[in-house]
Amino acid sequence: MANNRVLQWAVMARTWWIYDANLQCPFRSSERIITYLKGKHKPIYHPFADIGDHVVVFNTRHVAMRGNFWRTFKHFNHTRYAGGFSQASAWRVHEMDPTRIMEKACYQRLSGLPMKKTLMARLHLYPDEEIPQEILENVSGQIRQVQVVPKKLEDYTEEEIQNFPRLFEWPENYDVESYQRENQQEPDQHTTKKWRLD
Amino acid sequence: MSNNAIPRDFVKNVLQNGVGRYVCQLKRITFRFCKSHGGSRHMRDFIENNLLEFTQKNPGVVCYLQPRRHRPPSVVAEFLNGRREVMLLSGKEVPEICKWVEHMRTRSGVQIVNMIQNNHTETPSTQGIWHPFMFRDSEMAATEFPSKKFSQIQVTGKTATDLVLEEQLKVSSSESSDSHIEGK
Repeated sequence: MANNRVLQWAVMARTWWIYDANLQCPFRSSERIITYLKGKHKPIYHPFADIGDHVVVFNTRHVAMRGNFWRTFKHFNHTRYAGGFSQASAWRVHEMDPTRIMEKACYQRLSGLPMKKTLMARLHLYPDEEIPQEILENVSGQIRQVQVVPKKLEDYTEEEIQNFPRLFEWPENYDVESYQRENQQEPDQHTTKKWRLD
Repeated sequence: MSNNAIPRDFVKNVLQNGVGRYVCQLKRITFRFCKSHGGSRHMRDFIENNLLEFTQKNPGVVCYLQPRRHRPPSVVAEFLNGRREVMLLSGKEVPEICKWVEHMRTRSGVQIVNMIQNNHTETPSTQGIWHPFMFRDSEMAATEFPSKKFSQIQVTGKTATDLVLEEQLKVSSSESSDSHIEGK
């Protein structure tokens, strides 16, 4: 075949993928993302071959953790000096850098690979919808999300809420409001003292 | 084994040999020796004691004896594929000469090389090799990313909310049909 050489370029070409992290679990998402970073979705995959793809992740500010994980999931750091250990709960880390949760989740799942820093350099994280044009124009495919994006109460119209089937209606004089607790910041039990803001 | 003088190649063999019947690939073997020099002593012993047995067992192989004055002993093997191999046998004793002659007789004649790779094919896929856009939805080529369609997870089945809304639809439709009958 005359175009064999060009075909081989196409086989080895690095493609770009995009992933929408809106309301997605960062841990399950990272499992899917590192498949593309390592090139495991290709039939020519080999662990010694550097054939991973680029992945652009946006909306990392809007990732969703299950259960109590925003409070209890911790990020650790040690400066290697005596007493240099510190830890911060996920919500605090997220507050400081909205791409950090996603980055760390991917980096931890690449452990054991000598290539992991090279692969992480191919992961492009953006906190919101805005992606630079020079990045976006490379993208040729999209990775499917890991879970359904739930519809929020704000997304329903007033009419839909009124017409939703209900078993009974609250009495006119029933007090719903006073049971709602005031939204105040709790003391962060899981973060090292120097990271705390209060 | 990083010697550039040793040829490197993909694995090859005379694979058709032995499918119908086995054909000895050794065509001709030449024993070169000196009649007087001490270096050819074991080769002369081999010729005197073992060569006749070899020729009787292998009538398909031509045996030549080539005396050369004051030259080290060697054996030249010529194969059906046209290759010719020379092996120096100076200082080798009779059992070892027997072993190397047997080695030449059982060889396929293909040159011994360092193998580049264990996996190789001379007949690549007729369907063409894989590329990143194979098995990809062709609609992706005309899509502007990020797109909601290729992002959403594909769900099968209904959620509890869907079931409740369906029930409500059924109830409301039956109510409306009832009222229709009453109105009649």
